[in-house]
Amino acid sequence: MKQALSLTLCAAFLLCLLAPVARHMQERPFVQRVGVSPQPAVMRFVTADQKQIFGALEVLKVLIYYGTSLEKAQQHQDIVHDFQGMYPLIKTATRLDPYNMDAYYFAQAILVWDMRRIDEANALLDYGMQYRTWDFYLPFFAGFNHAYFLKDYDKATFYYKRAGELTGSDLFIRLASRYMYEANQTGLAIAYLQTMKAGARNETIKKSFDLRLTAFMAVKRIEDAQAAFLRDLGRPAKTIEEIAQAGYLATPVIDPYGGTFYLDNTGRVRTTSKFAALPSNNAK
Amino acid sequence: MHHLILITWKGLLRDRILQGILVATGIFLFIPSVSVLSMRQVGELAITLSLSLTSFILLLIAIFCGGTALWKDIDRHSIYSVLGLPISRTNYLLGKFFGIAGFLLLISLVLGLLASATIWYVSLTDPPARPILWTNILMALTFDCLKYIMVVAVSFLFSTVSTSFFLPIFGTITLFLGGNVTQEVYDYLQTPAGAALPALTKQIALFLYYLLPNFAVFDLKANAVYSIPLPANGILLPLAYSLAYCGLLLSAAAMLFTRRELH
Repeated sequence: MKQALSLTLCAAFLLCLLAPVARHMQERPFVQRVGVSPQPAVMRFVTADQKQIFGALEVLKVLIYYGTSLEKAQQHQDIVHDFQGMYPLIKTATRLDPYNMDAYYFAQAILVWDMRRIDEANALLDYGMQYRTWDFYLPFFAGFNHAYFLKDYDKATFYYKRAGELTGSDLFIRLASRYMYEANQTGLAIAYLQTMKAGARNETIKKSFDLRLTAFMAVKRIEDAQAAFLRDLGRPAKTIEEIAQAGYLATPVIDPYGGTFYLDNTGRVRTTSKFAALPSNNAK
Repeated sequence: MHHLILITWKGLLRDRILQGILVATGIFLFIPSVSVLSMRQVGELAITLSLSLTSFILLLIAIFCGGTALWKDIDRHSIYSVLGLPISRTNYLLGKFFGIAGFLLLISLVLGLLASATIWYVSLTDPPARPILWTNILMALTFDCLKYIMVVAVSFLFSTVSTSFFLPIFGTITLFLGGNVTQEVYDYLQTPAGAALPALTKQIALFLYYLLPNFAVFDLKANAVYSIPLPANGILLPLAYSLAYCGLLLSAAAMLFTRRELH
């Protein structure tokens, strides 16, 4: 009888605690949740023969964190992001399992575009290429980063050639340096993002690509109108408003990141959001 | 000896090990749901999770069954009646060892089938980027089993000198972790940073590398998950290594057990 009473009381007490404990965990400062990971070398020691699964768990942890933070940012919640903390976790994941494609994909999708950590992402891609020797995606990513962000066309050519050799397709070679330099960079970015989006299975990542794609399409619209303005009037436009007033932009162009588009001193289309409503604005 | 093997099996069944394993295998059902969280490698994640779960269950069986097999017989005094029969201590030890090794083989087979079924099921909807090499998966499972048979041999060695189960269990866990990192240390020594270490440190590290069991040679998970071709050496050398090392451990265990005073 006493045992049953004790059991009932303990169960009731535990039931009462469950909701407050869950609430407490929910209310922790957001930044705490991405957690920390020991140095990759330490992790390699302690994970014994389970390196692949721990690598996969590190990526999942970052992905869940990123998904949650993206949702909160879209709800315009004022939160402190720990995007800087994501890179060490992704790096650890690649050191635990150098074949883990999720880690490289995440590095390319998020580290590059949202955090602008191009060099770190390229270092990860270079590391992955030593192992995933059959995979054209890694040199494809690296080639794009070198051409689009770093303007290092020699290196871009090197990586695109490598991607071309792996696929047997000349598509990547055609994308190489000189062509990219002379071609429309925004068009290239749109083509690249469309390729990335088509291969994305994760909804969070897909959403992130969608957002960026919408922004680049908006830029392309302005660039096309700007070119038409120059062609018809024989002089470059000074502002976007001037282009709109001349009738080349029928509807206002909206930056999905919440910024405002403008033309810089060289006539290039820029936005006050810097195409990164999430981390870069916080980081800077 | 086959009687001893059968008795060992009966003992394991009496301890309800199978029921415990059955509960743990329920986790296989969740693998397809967890795998879809991956961005680019759902199939690969399913293989990783399946092999890791199999490996973890085998590890638990190897440590707890191997570490307590001799201790239980001594603690329950059943060893005295067995050794009163015309059977040598070496045969007794080997009978117990092969009983647990055979049990591990059987469980590996069952878990391997469950893992394969899970991988096959996930691959129907989300095939991996590279075609699954089933021979690699079979090899990874087989070598995992061999590794844990070696872990049982390690625990038997500790059991022959221990009066409780603490040393066999914790000693085996320590040696298992150690045996998994010696290759990392050896690889580090080959780097410029490793070469700059003091000579004595390097000598000690090398000595431990050759002395401790190198469990990393049995880890073929990357080959199985990412369909990386297996060289013939990668199969034959670990096989020969496990035979040689198990023989060494069991010989040492038999020698110590024969000389041990049992009260």
